[in-house]
Amino acid sequence: MSGLSSLLVALPALVAALVASIVPRQAKLKHRLGMAAVTFFLVYAIFALWPEAATAPAEAAKAAEGAEGEWPYLLDVLIGLPIAGAAAVMFIPRQLLSVVRGFTYGVFALAFVLSLLLLGADMTPGWHFQHIVPWIESAGIRWHIAVDGISLWLVILTTFTTPIAAFVSFGSIRNHIKELCVAFLLLQGAIIGSFVALDLFVFYVFWELMLVPMFLMIGIWGGANKIKAAVKFFLFTMTGSVLMLAAMLYMVWTNHELTGIWSFDFLQLSQIILPGAPGSWSPQTLCFWAFSLAFFIKVPMFPFHTWLPDAHTEAPTGGSVVLAAVMLKLGTYAYLRFSMGMFPAAASHFAPTLAGVAIMGGILYGALVAWKQSDIKRLVAYSSVAHLGFVMLGLFGATAGGMQGAILQMVNHGIATGALFMLVGVIYDRRHTREVGEFGGLAKVMPVYATLFVIVTMASIGVPGTNGFIGEFMVIAGTFVSERLSHFASAHALGAALGVILVAIYMLSMVQKVFFGPLKNPKNKHLNDITPREGLALSPLIIVIFVIGLFPALLLNRMKPAVDAFATQFRTTSEYAVTRANVIAAQRVPPDKFTPGFLSGAPMIGDEKADAADKSRQAATEGADGDKVAAARAGGAQ
Amino acid sequence: MMSILTQQFPADDFALLALVLALPLIGAFVNGVFGKRLGKEGVRLMALSAVGGSFLLSLVVFAAVAGAPVPAEGPGARLTWTAWEWFTVTGRMRTEVSLDVAFSVDALSATMALVVTGVGFLIHLYSTGYMDKDPGYHRFFAYLNLFIFSMMVLILGDNMAVLFVGWEGVGLCSYLLIGFWYEDEAKASAGKKAFITNRIGDFGLLIAMAMLVYYAGTLSWSGLEAGAAGLQETRPIWPLGDLQASALPGFLADWLTPESPIKLQVATMVALALFLGCMGKSAQVPLYVWLPDAMAGPTPVSALIHAATMVTAGVYLVARTSFIFALSPAAMAIVAMTGAVTALLAASIAFAQNDLKKVLAYSTVSQLGFMFIGVGVGAFAAGFFHVITHAFFKGCLFLCAGSVIHAMHVRVHDDDRSQDMRHMGGLKNYMPWTHGTFLVSCLAIAGCPPLAGFWSKDEILYKAATSKVVATNAQVWTPPEWWGQLVYAIGMVAAVGTAFYMFRAYFMTFWGDFRGWKIVKRWKDPGHHHHDEPGKAMKGPAPHESPWSMTLPLAVLASLAAVVGFVYAHPIHIAPLDHFWEPVFRTASATIKPTEGAAAAVWPMLAVGVTAFLVGSGASYLVYVKKGGQPAASFVGAWPRLHRIVYDKWRIDELYQVTIIGMLDALGETAAQVDRLVIDGIIARATALITNLCGTLLRALQTGRVQVYAAAMVVGTALLGWFVLSPHADAAVDDSQLRRTGVLSLQASPGFGYRFMWYVEGEEPPKDFTTEASYRVTLGRCETKRVHLSVQNALGGTDDYSVTQCRETREGCCLPVGQVPKAPPPASSVRLPGLPRGRMLPPGKYDAGVIQQMLQPRGRPPRPAGQNPQGGAQ
Repeated sequence: MSGLSSLLVALPALVAALVASIVPRQAKLKHRLGMAAVTFFLVYAIFALWPEAATAPAEAAKAAEGAEGEWPYLLDVLIGLPIAGAAAVMFIPRQLLSVVRGFTYGVFALAFVLSLLLLGADMTPGWHFQHIVPWIESAGIRWHIAVDGISLWLVILTTFTTPIAAFVSFGSIRNHIKELCVAFLLLQGAIIGSFVALDLFVFYVFWELMLVPMFLMIGIWGGANKIKAAVKFFLFTMTGSVLMLAAMLYMVWTNHELTGIWSFDFLQLSQIILPGAPGSWSPQTLCFWAFSLAFFIKVPMFPFHTWLPDAHTEAPTGGSVVLAAVMLKLGTYAYLRFSMGMFPAAASHFAPTLAGVAIMGGILYGALVAWKQSDIKRLVAYSSVAHLGFVMLGLFGATAGGMQGAILQMVNHGIATGALFMLVGVIYDRRHTREVGEFGGLAKVMPVYATLFVIVTMASIGVPGTNGFIGEFMVIAGTFVSERLSHFASAHALGAALGVILVAIYMLSMVQKVFFGPLKNPKNKHLNDITPREGLALSPLIIVIFVIGLFPALLLNRMKPAVDAFATQFRTTSEYAVTRANVIAAQRVPPDKFTPGFLSGAPMIGDEKADAADKSRQAATEGADGDKVAAARAGGAQ
Repeated sequence: MMSILTQQFPADDFALLALVLALPLIGAFVNGVFGKRLGKEGVRLMALSAVGGSFLLSLVVFAAVAGAPVPAEGPGARLTWTAWEWFTVTGRMRTEVSLDVAFSVDALSATMALVVTGVGFLIHLYSTGYMDKDPGYHRFFAYLNLFIFSMMVLILGDNMAVLFVGWEGVGLCSYLLIGFWYEDEAKASAGKKAFITNRIGDFGLLIAMAMLVYYAGTLSWSGLEAGAAGLQETRPIWPLGDLQASALPGFLADWLTPESPIKLQVATMVALALFLGCMGKSAQVPLYVWLPDAMAGPTPVSALIHAATMVTAGVYLVARTSFIFALSPAAMAIVAMTGAVTALLAASIAFAQNDLKKVLAYSTVSQLGFMFIGVGVGAFAAGFFHVITHAFFKGCLFLCAGSVIHAMHVRVHDDDRSQDMRHMGGLKNYMPWTHGTFLVSCLAIAGCPPLAGFWSKDEILYKAATSKVVATNAQVWTPPEWWGQLVYAIGMVAAVGTAFYMFRAYFMTFWGDFRGWKIVKRWKDPGHHHHDEPGKAMKGPAPHESPWSMTLPLAVLASLAAVVGFVYAHPIHIAPLDHFWEPVFRTASATIKPTEGAAAAVWPMLAVGVTAFLVGSGASYLVYVKKGGQPAASFVGAWPRLHRIVYDKWRIDELYQVTIIGMLDALGETAAQVDRLVIDGIIARATALITNLCGTLLRALQTGRVQVYAAAMVVGTALLGWFVLSPHADAAVDDSQLRRTGVLSLQASPGFGYRFMWYVEGEEPPKDFTTEASYRVTLGRCETKRVHLSVQNALGGTDDYSVTQCRETREGCCLPVGQVPKAPPPASSVRLPGLPRGRMLPPGKYDAGVIQQMLQPRGRPPRPAGQNPQGGAQ
């Protein structure tokens, strides 16, 4: 790209940045510059990520080829940087507040910029930035991390929202700043780790590690009942995790019985069909439930959702933002990746029932309960239950479009609910209450705040043009056409669409009670409108709401190949597993049932190893005509 | 000129639309964000130039569409512009349905765009005068511009998803503008009510889109029109899923599982779901309740959004998707009847209202009913023409009402009182422009020939009586012959009512004496914030005519309302607009047929229409001018309760309040309590309690007293010793070789000083115990043996163990004596290869054809031939 044309691309972004910088009526220069930078960056991103036409054949050719030119240590850095940063912060004297904060910002900024490198890769199906290092060889545990179209945006969502949450926290939290920085950095590292881990052991380590900083965040900087909420949060999640660990060990053992090697590798374990027909009390069903329960608790799905409102109401604003925006996504992501990846037969057998639970218990029940909450944060927490019901429904339906919608909805929920929690934090900082009854008529004294709140509310309701609509519609359409849900698909779609009415009822009722009507409470008469600093924190989220709403293809195009491939694979493997259901013996799914590239990097066993070595030798002699899949696999394994 | 246009903007890349859309959006952004800094002049300039520019461009677009060549077959000229790729969803059989941000314009949308921007500009102009003193001036114009943008997206969207963006966008603007004076709780509530009621409609639209994605595989207008024929198939809708009679208790089984599945035409389902959306947006029974409340917004908003443009979006949608509706006689019948009922119900409510804006609001609901009668009987063009005439005369009427209220506001500041017609009267002397334009519009809406309303309303009612929708498929339900006659009759009664209540409003407002206050010459304002009772006790100046910025739009709209009918005057054979629109409705009109004698009925029916106008307006003149309202008062005196209930709008709102809203509220309350007490109680509190309890119990044992520990140790040692000293017979059975060779190996568990004795039941046991811990026995095919093991330990105690094994063959011959033979896997279902899971066939004989049918997606398993459907329940 020549200098002139790159300038041309940057021109709209520059104009947008200029406009953004004059939007606030009174603000310091640094905040204006911040707004301009955020806008410039996001508008530029639209142009940079714009799908280029006619690259399809080239993509197909590359699909089998594995990832060339991808720096394999990128993910290690993304995980390691925040964790190392957390360790480093501990050595900075706590008196140097600005140094502590500045250092944290620096680490976050670096992590975010590095995470953008992920977008540089051509997101073909299969693994990217894969990095495999043997770790505990006697148990077959390997440091196996990789990203694909499914986890890509969740990683970026993490590096995008955590800094914002930290920025917000530094505005309202005044004690133990150093520890807060450590917690935030550690949290980010652990979350990214769980999103990219492909070895179950590594995944488990990060899954549990994540709890610690969040536990501390709620327990130290939380509200009145912080200890109780922190313990509740920890115990709920831990219960699921322990079940998952047990099932994981059983699978590893079964894999050893079958293949003779010890491996915790997800790719290896997803080739096993555990004994038992789906639906009966068998190892397969039990392991599926053990894994899925852990994930459902995290999501959270009805009836395991009661930890969430408590955790949210007690957590500080920054903690709530990370919890809602990213941590809950681990549950949905892990269900997609691990439960559906390793137990396709059970996952498809239980899909109609679980979809019913997601609709009745999530979308509808969550919405009804949200409606009756008097604490704004509690209301938003229950709205999360309803929104994540949509995400889970998309996954249960298991159509390519529905799953894309579900993943997009994960991102959307992160953006919109994150922004809602930040907005609630704004009013909490001023009044130290979140009771709806304490407010009313705030639009009079805080017009800008009210405007932003209404915009985010609309995103949450799913008004088209905002991001919420795209995900919702893709999920509803995906549900309607789903074969997995068979005869009930249309009823499920109908139920899910009913949620669209309820979400308007509870969100608008809250907005009306807080912002409209006469300004009765004298305590609210002199509230300050949103400060430029708070506005700056919200601006990226607000802009992204519209960016995704109008240009969802920017995100969808990068996840589509991976999701399509996964949908196909889920269908083939689940059908294979169902037809081969065996009550007594575990079996292996033949590698050709998986999509090309999926198994690249799986540990090799016995004759496969020799086979692959043969083939790679052959490929080396025959030149580029050899079987590239095998070559890639062999390459991954060494 | 024309050639430059077509050169610059080819039909498949008609980027001019981008400009039409961009102008109001820029206006909304600038006014919304920078409005306070721009000042009133700047805001006015921005808002007016944005909408005015959009109007001028719409004129160019209209010219381009009119100039484009019309193909002889299929739909007419369509100029499209695809902005960018939006997203794709998964369709039937895993196809991909791509939805683009694309816009297009054809004869229908070009006309509508012209009306929206044109009326929109006039109302913007009017608003600059009306809202002059409002502190939220810039906010108002930002919303109004945003509304114009959303409405244009709705009209120009090339597919249903883009239409939906505009659809919800106008809903959002309506929400914001109804609640514009948000400090008033009631107004904010009215906005919320509008939004939520519309959401019920949007639910229908969402479902319709999902169905179209599945059944038609596209959402673009041209794609749908081409593929509409595919929607003729019928689909089972009940029983749901693979619900079998056997799965239900007996008394429900007969009732819930019919002999044959209930089937519905796909077009009917789609059309009804779409119509649910239209009911919400266009305020039809039973979702009309939000519109009268929506009058809480500023009057220009009522004129623009809640009369002229947004509320007609439903009619636009039906006209747009006419090719779907025309496939389903059932859906058309429902649309027409809903329209008729709405027209009559709303007209009846309008009789009793005293609030000028309320009368106009119910009149709008009623007129929307007429439009739906039109599109529901297949007169799509006539129905849509009524949208346009209505935009002119009703827009004008609302603006007149605003002008009157503006005048009343000089002394009456309370909203309710300033709009009450009982405080008006005689205004024709003080407000000549307002009076004249109101009269013209009133005549137009009442159906006075040759004004616009006469032609459009008459055409609708004529078509209602003389056309029918022909089924394309013999299986589908078609309404009986009298259905159209009934719709016509109801419509005619509503038309008489319209003439009556409109003239009632006119006479009460403009004739007679002024009742607002005592007019004093050279009156001085004693200061603000006084809320005197209107009436003769209060003094004030003569009501003033509004400024030119307000009267000019009135004049333009009234003259349009007077003459526009002549572009669609079928009885006198001048209908250029119909010819312009004809290609748009070409596909749909294939199934619409005139009844016999339709041509002869034109003039008689015209006469009936004129009579209806004369009767309605004449009666009104008689009652409110000649008799000074005396008959109305005596009517109220005679039937006070009837009047009360009509005045209270038949108490429909209250009915909804106690039924649907009350139920939902109770449901929500229950859910919240259940969540707090049951869910959290069981999952969190009960488990915590159990854990706590266990801890408490165990703690009781940890007393710290050495004696207790010593006693426990003694007891424990004794128990352990007893266990160790008594023998335990057990053996590991290895049957891995059993099936192949018949060898069964057993290995006894070892123990302290154990000796073993093995024997097979039926054979002679050995005399003594040996140290042999393993044992092999050989079985023949299908042979069952019982192996006994006795164990003796060093102290001489013995224990026994036995195991029974059978050598299984492939056929499964092992049936141990005394054991019920294990049932073969239940033959309740046979899985077809290649079918997805959960698609099971009940047992029985099938034709090959049935199996074929099963392989189609979404089939319901047929019942096997000759099997009793309730067989499973017996």
